Amino acid sequence: MSFTPFFTALFAHHGGFGLNLNPLDTNLINLVIVIGVLVWFLRGFLGGILERRRQAILADLSDAEQRLQSATAALTQAQQDLAAARQKAEQIRQDGQARAHAVRVDSQQRTIEEMARLKEDATADLKAEASRVTALLRREAARQAIEQALASLPAKLDETAQARLIDQSIQNLGNA
Amino acid sequence: MVPLPLALPFAELEVGQQFYWQLGRLQLHGQVFLSSWVVIGALLALVVIGTRRMERDPRGVQNLLEFLWTYIRDLAREQIGEKAYRDWLPFIGTLFLFIFVCNWGGALIPWKIIELPSGELGAPTADINTTVAMALLVSLSYFYAGLSRKGLRYFEYYVEPTPIMLPFKIIEDFTKPLSLSFRLFGNILADELVVGVLAFLVPVIVPLPAMFLGLFTSAIQALIFATLAANYIGEAVHEEHH
Repeated sequence: MSFTPFFTALFAHHGGFGLNLNPLDTNLINLVIVIGVLVWFLRGFLGGILERRRQAILADLSDAEQRLQSATAALTQAQQDLAAARQKAEQIRQDGQARAHAVRVDSQQRTIEEMARLKEDATADLKAEASRVTALLRREAARQAIEQALASLPAKLDETAQARLIDQSIQNLGNA
Repeated sequence: MVPLPLALPFAELEVGQQFYWQLGRLQLHGQVFLSSWVVIGALLALVVIGTRRMERDPRGVQNLLEFLWTYIRDLAREQIGEKAYRDWLPFIGTLFLFIFVCNWGGALIPWKIIELPSGELGAPTADINTTVAMALLVSLSYFYAGLSRKGLRYFEYYVEPTPIMLPFKIIEDFTKPLSLSFRLFGNILADELVVGVLAFLVPVIVPLPAMFLGLFTSAIQALIFATLAANYIGEAVHEEHH
């Protein structure tokens, strides 16, 4: 498709183009009045609307900016608080750990002491029992020996033996 | 009868005269293209100037463009719904701004200063071809919107709530672009003609009320076209809640 005929058509009529500046012929007076009234009206009406719109937008913007500022400040504050809280939490955790350690060591120590005490008690009990049993056995042995001695004594004892025994005892006493 | 000896300095009134351009076998209405280019150029310039240095503090053109954007977004969101309006916001916004600037440009720019070989410059929307083109675009858009979002289930819309609605819904697909294009075209052309006729009869002051009324109705027409386009798209993408 070629546009050549288009433009030749456009310029073929060139002779017919022209300007007509007759104000009556071209309705120029009325148009000037209409445009004047329209400009006056739109300047008041549309201009007012646009100005109010602009003010509303500016107010929104400054409002948003203020909120941004306060939000930023709040954020900073909150971050500081968070850091402080973190520090405190760390402190508490360390304290807790230290206390737990101390408690563990303490209880270990006490357990060990308790066990030692129990062992000592057991040993002492054992010794006491052993000495009691020893004493019992000794007494029993002595009693049996006396009984045996008493049983065999009447058969063995006579005048000479008695005299020798008494002499021996006297000698023992004299030696002591 | 003796003809009037003096030619009165009154405007001529032409209806149905076109400034034809020949493109292949097509005959184009050149005056519509010229004024459309002016409108498109003005819109592009406005948008480029308004978005070149964007600042946090919206001033001047940037403020105006943001205001317009908010307005169009609210319109699209209300008509199309929260889910799909983002896809169609550029289309609706373009329709609204183009039609609005076309209508007001046609009513406010002294086009008659420039003489064409035949026909005269004016609002592009006063030509049925422009409005039909836009209305057909709207038709294509809502078909595309419905089909791309719902697939073939889009055609369930034709039998809802009852299959009796089927012929009416099919007729609607033809009447929608028809009414869109004729409403806009008729309003703008009628306004231009009324102003033209009044200016032809009494050149000053008397056409002023008609001109202000024309400004008002042409703004409303731009809004109606954009709202209806968004509404049709919204209808097509609307999900039934069972």
